[in-house]
Amino acid sequence: MAEVILNNVSKAFGQDTALDGVSMTIPDGAFVVLLGPTGAGKTTTLRLISGLEKPDTGDILIGGRSVVNDTPAQRDVAMVFQQYSLYPHLTVHENLAFPLKSPILRTPEDEIARKVAEVAEVLQISHKLNNKATELSGGEMQRVSIGRALVRDPSIYLMDEPLSSLDAKLRSDLRVELKRIQAGLGATLLYVTHDQIEAMTMATHVGVLDQGRLVQFGTPREIYENPVSLYVASRLGLPRINTLPVALFGDAPAGAATIGLRPEHIAQGQGRDSTVTRVEHLGDQTRLHLSLEQHDIVTLTDVHTTLRPGDTVAIAPRNPLYFDTNGTRIA
Amino acid sequence: MTDNPIERAATATPPRLARRIKGLSDRAIAWIFVAPTIFLLLAVNIFPLIWTINLSFTNFRANRPNREVDYVGLRNYERILTDSDIWLTMQATAHFLFWTIFFQVLIGFTLAWLINRKFKGNDLWTTIIVLPMMLSPAVVGNFWTFLYQPQIGLFNYVVSFFTGVDPSSFEMIGSVNLAPWSIVIVDTWMWTPFVMLICLAGLRSIPDYIYEAAAIDRASRWRQFWTITVPMVLPFLMLAVLFRGIENFKMFDLVVQLTGGGPGSVTELTSINLKREAFEKWRTGYASAYAIILFVTVFGLASVYVKALNKVKER
Ligand SMILES: Nc1ncnc2c1ncn2[C@@H]1O[C@H](COP(=O)(O)OP(=O)(O)OP(=O)(O)O)[C@@H](O)[C@H]1O
Ligand SMILES: [Mg+2]
Repeated sequence: MAEVILNNVSKAFGQDTALDGVSMTIPDGAFVVLLGPTGAGKTTTLRLISGLEKPDTGDILIGGRSVVNDTPAQRDVAMVFQQYSLYPHLTVHENLAFPLKSPILRTPEDEIARKVAEVAEVLQISHKLNNKATELSGGEMQRVSIGRALVRDPSIYLMDEPLSSLDAKLRSDLRVELKRIQAGLGATLLYVTHDQIEAMTMATHVGVLDQGRLVQFGTPREIYENPVSLYVASRLGLPRINTLPVALFGDAPAGAATIGLRPEHIAQGQGRDSTVTRVEHLGDQTRLHLSLEQHDIVTLTDVHTTLRPGDTVAIAPRNPLYFDTNGTRIA
Repeated sequence: MTDNPIERAATATPPRLARRIKGLSDRAIAWIFVAPTIFLLLAVNIFPLIWTINLSFTNFRANRPNREVDYVGLRNYERILTDSDIWLTMQATAHFLFWTIFFQVLIGFTLAWLINRKFKGNDLWTTIIVLPMMLSPAVVGNFWTFLYQPQIGLFNYVVSFFTGVDPSSFEMIGSVNLAPWSIVIVDTWMWTPFVMLICLAGLRSIPDYIYEAAAIDRASRWRQFWTITVPMVLPFLMLAVLFRGIENFKMFDLVVQLTGGGPGSVTELTSINLKREAFEKWRTGYASAYAIILFVTVFGLASVYVKALNKVKER
């Protein structure tokens, strides 16, 4: 396990700038989650660290040593690919054993068998070990792909949306397992996800990418409570942060153009009257769609609410976030 | 009237015919469609085969159709299988088959592997390499006799250039030792591109991401080659071997043009030998038995091979 540092790394594909001067320190033993919309450069970041891609400029250090000229094998990274990338002509067992059979490691056969069995157990694919890799469902392939990384003991694990095609139950099981394994090994892990819960519960650090730029890096709480911009603020939080013109509520700091209201920033029962347009019962929470001077607002309310469309609810901001016209946070 | 093409076709059919067709069941219509093919197959493949089997038990001679034909039982088969000349022919064929396939696979795969690396102009190279395959075997056989000329031939000149041997000191076609190799060389020259193309298709079917995963899994180039490239190209390679094997088992034109089976009969492959028995010596019954033996051999070998191929594909 090792600390990984990106130093002003840029990467372009032809005219497309995929990464633009990214600097980031992934501390030893940290669980770093990368957030960003599609095309933001998350996969590119992982591929640069793994050595499948070379940066145009900048430096990458693993364990304090510059690795930009090293092969993936020399960097000793494990990667879970977004598109699984299993060996189609091999069985699940052979896929999982493949990294261990590297002559660099010289793992004895019984050790390989033990490791494969152990990982298969954790990922709940023991019953599929003799299937060919092509004879699996998408979720099973994804788990084999995770397993192929977990059998190893690399300097860093890179995982590209590893739980994206699993069902809700398996996803929450594996979320717990992955976190447990990572914490147990003290492993360094860089993890890409679009899933809010994964980011908030697993990460020690979150990095937010915007069109190839790292716009904020911090603990999940920092990112959630103290976003530097409207863009970062809208990466986390469900329902999403509401953005409204400051004029709606008045009493804003100078220069503020937009007010950002998360559900917990909205006090109900005081302030301005808004109309209920829709009530969504999601089971564990109830979403309230409100309309205030033609602006839509989504917030949460009591699970057993009796509010109905057409009712009136008074709302007021409570410690909201303020952004200027560029979307930069000012308070 | 309607614009539906099926209905338009239906209304275009003359009413009387249409009425008659309407009376037929689906099964009957299916038979009507398949019948011409079945008839052709019977006429061109199955009947001649059965007729040949029949002839193989006789002493029939096609150049004397009026002579009385006797059934001789298994005597033709007995004579063929105990004839040492025929065994020599078989050996020549085996030598030809083995070495052409060996070289074509080796060189074809290597070329495919080289061409598959992304470099500028690899499409042009592919076209150039594939050219020999597009020539007629008779033409190839003919002009290689010139290349093999001891005095003026390019082949002898090139060999002498690299080895220092006197170009007129050896004759590829004329020598008993070299002639079997001369046909191997020409067939390899002509058909290696074919094997290369099939291997290339196999190599191109392997997605890049598999090699990326292997690189991350710290597999060396060498190990990637043996654990990914070879197993994934193997079904394609086996298919190429099957095609080449079948083709070369019935090799005729190229070798006839090149060596005519000589010197002596060292390059007389079974198909040439068979043609001589059938259409020069006119021993039709004997040649029929010969053909049946070859048929069974090829059929047996091919089915074993196809089974193996399917097993490889299933892996
Ligand atoms: N091999 C490539 N050739 C050309 N452009 C590429 C290549 N790989 C990535 N890009 C471009 O780089 C940018 C970032 O791509 P990347 O795959 O890193 O996005 P991502 O954040 O992983 O998105 P997603 O969430 O959809 O996986 C995109 O604009 C993409 O078009
Ligand atoms: Mg991606």
